[in-house]
Amino acid sequence: MESFWIVLLGLLAAGYFALAGFDYGTALLFRFVGRDERERGRALGAMTPFVLGDEVWLVAAVGVLFGAFPRLEGELLSGHHGAFVTIVTGLVAFTAAVQLRGAAPVWDVPLVGGALAVAVGWGVLAADVTGAPAPLWIVGVVGLFSLHGGTFLAWRLPGRAGVRARALARSLVLPCLLFVPAAVLLAGPVARPEVGVGVAVAVVVLLLGAWVTSGRVAFCCTAIACALPVPAVFAAQDVVTAETMAGTGTLAVLVPAAVVVLPLVLLFQWATWWMVRVRHA
Amino acid sequence: MDPLDLARAQFATTTSFHFLFVLLTLGLVTLVAVMQTGFTLTGTPVLRRMTRFWGRIYVVNYALGIATGIVMEFQFGLNWSGLSTYAGDVFGAPLAIETLVAFFLESTFLGLWIFGWDRLGRWAHLALIWAVTVTAYASAFWVMVANGFLQHPVGYREQGGVLRLTDLGALVANPTVTAAFVHVVAAALTVGGVFVVGVSAHHFIRRTAEVDFFRRSLRIGVVTTAIATPFLVAAGVAQFKVIKTYQPDKLSVMGGLGAPLSSMMLIGVALVLASWVTLPLLARDAVVRMRFPLHLMVLGIPLPFVASIGGWVVREVGRQPWLVYGLMTTEDAVSPVGATGMLVSFLAFTGVFAVLGVADWVLVSRIARRGPEPESAPQPVSALATAL
Repeated sequence: MESFWIVLLGLLAAGYFALAGFDYGTALLFRFVGRDERERGRALGAMTPFVLGDEVWLVAAVGVLFGAFPRLEGELLSGHHGAFVTIVTGLVAFTAAVQLRGAAPVWDVPLVGGALAVAVGWGVLAADVTGAPAPLWIVGVVGLFSLHGGTFLAWRLPGRAGVRARALARSLVLPCLLFVPAAVLLAGPVARPEVGVGVAVAVVVLLLGAWVTSGRVAFCCTAIACALPVPAVFAAQDVVTAETMAGTGTLAVLVPAAVVVLPLVLLFQWATWWMVRVRHA
Repeated sequence: MDPLDLARAQFATTTSFHFLFVLLTLGLVTLVAVMQTGFTLTGTPVLRRMTRFWGRIYVVNYALGIATGIVMEFQFGLNWSGLSTYAGDVFGAPLAIETLVAFFLESTFLGLWIFGWDRLGRWAHLALIWAVTVTAYASAFWVMVANGFLQHPVGYREQGGVLRLTDLGALVANPTVTAAFVHVVAAALTVGGVFVVGVSAHHFIRRTAEVDFFRRSLRIGVVTTAIATPFLVAAGVAQFKVIKTYQPDKLSVMGGLGAPLSSMMLIGVALVLASWVTLPLLARDAVVRMRFPLHLMVLGIPLPFVASIGGWVVREVGRQPWLVYGLMTTEDAVSPVGATGMLVSFLAFTGVFAVLGVADWVLVSRIARRGPEPESAPQPVSALATAL
């Protein structure tokens, strides 16, 4: 029962980073991938069908955090006030700007700025939790999201823009590869260092995978590489424990909701991907 | 201002903004679902265009509203960690169900509805908008269950200094939930009805060529308002008895809340009268030919929004000094965050919310003013679908 909720929370958080990661990455890169307004519009348009579905993974994760780990939720959010305020402010700006971008290019400012703020916020949070230097994690998360956005665009965009996205993504692999061991080596004392090392090795392998492959496979590699670091930081520091969990009365009530909803969301989100599947390939 | 005042000001601001989005979203999605049902059953082309036009406004409002909802969700942990620590087991359960069953599922259904235009079968696409509607109301219901617990805590026992959930049924059947939920649903339908009526009236004032389109819209709006407002007022009045029984202190606090309370009641009664007077005037478009009521209809758009803010002020300020009535004060629940941190978040959230509010206003009014697209050149139902 306890491990069910810990695994569920981890999966929802990982799902959020894997999916929303390429949203933010696309926002960070699209002005470089597209040379003119038409190309930029297409680059963003490749991402926008998924935005709503991607962002709600975070909403669901925080919902589970609140319902199943109420004491952790209060402590975590209020204890990292600045990081979370940065994330949420960025998220709101990003979500609004995605909608409004068609209206005027000036909305590129909150679009890029919002995506950047979200990445910076997660970087600060991970650095806070592990005791590593904040700039390292900020650069690392921005780099990982951008790389993920790059492989997404390389996969989804036809023609020259796709080629440019591929080149950008490849140029980001090396900085990301340098970030991973640095994050492990410069971390402070950690409750379960073996988790951190294990995940770091996995992320390095995935990054190399993204380097040698292309298209959907490269995208999947960067998706998992994006998904792992932040949940791994919490696992390594043993933040999510049974003591912070709600009582059995609460958990019993939440189980049916989770068991019914998750398969439905997976099914319907898969249907969205299927409907806007790549046709030029 | 100390951190407590800042946290309260922040909560009041963000909740009010959020609720404005929620009301229009709930009201419009219902009307859009009704229009799409009409089209699916009859195949009348104008109903399809209506679904698309009002649906576009709805989607803009939803997607910007979701951003305000995310802030709401984080805010409890950010600024009110004492509530999570002490009552999170009970208060968090309905909120978690809300995010999972409603929020998560609703957005997924809506995404599919947006991209399913012309790709899915008629009936599958119709089923999606109803799934969105049902999950939207479920969302509102579970939020009211959580709020009802703060008003009148039930279904718990205290154990080792924290509350444990013992009876979800009691939480759901909480007397401070039932009437309030009906009230909120009726308010949302009223907002949706009045909005559709106002926008349609605007087009008649401008002597639109889309007479059939806006005549049907106006009728749906007036009928919805006429059905919803009596329930709205009745469910509002019914709450006085509940408050008298369970929150006797609130009535004395309400003495100091005269302005929001009376403006809400005045607007409610005025809308009942206006909608029922308009009903017979719908015959042979009398209300359109008289013209002056059209101007009143446009002016009426903000009224239910104003009233709903009044309603929340009465409900939430009236609960003070308690956060969980009789169990935990607002003061004890505030997070141990410094005044600077609280001020920064207050300014940041208020700033982005102001931008969201303006953006929503600009986008919605632009779509609304432009009117329905010509049948020959259909626009995507959402800016999120531009590339398709």
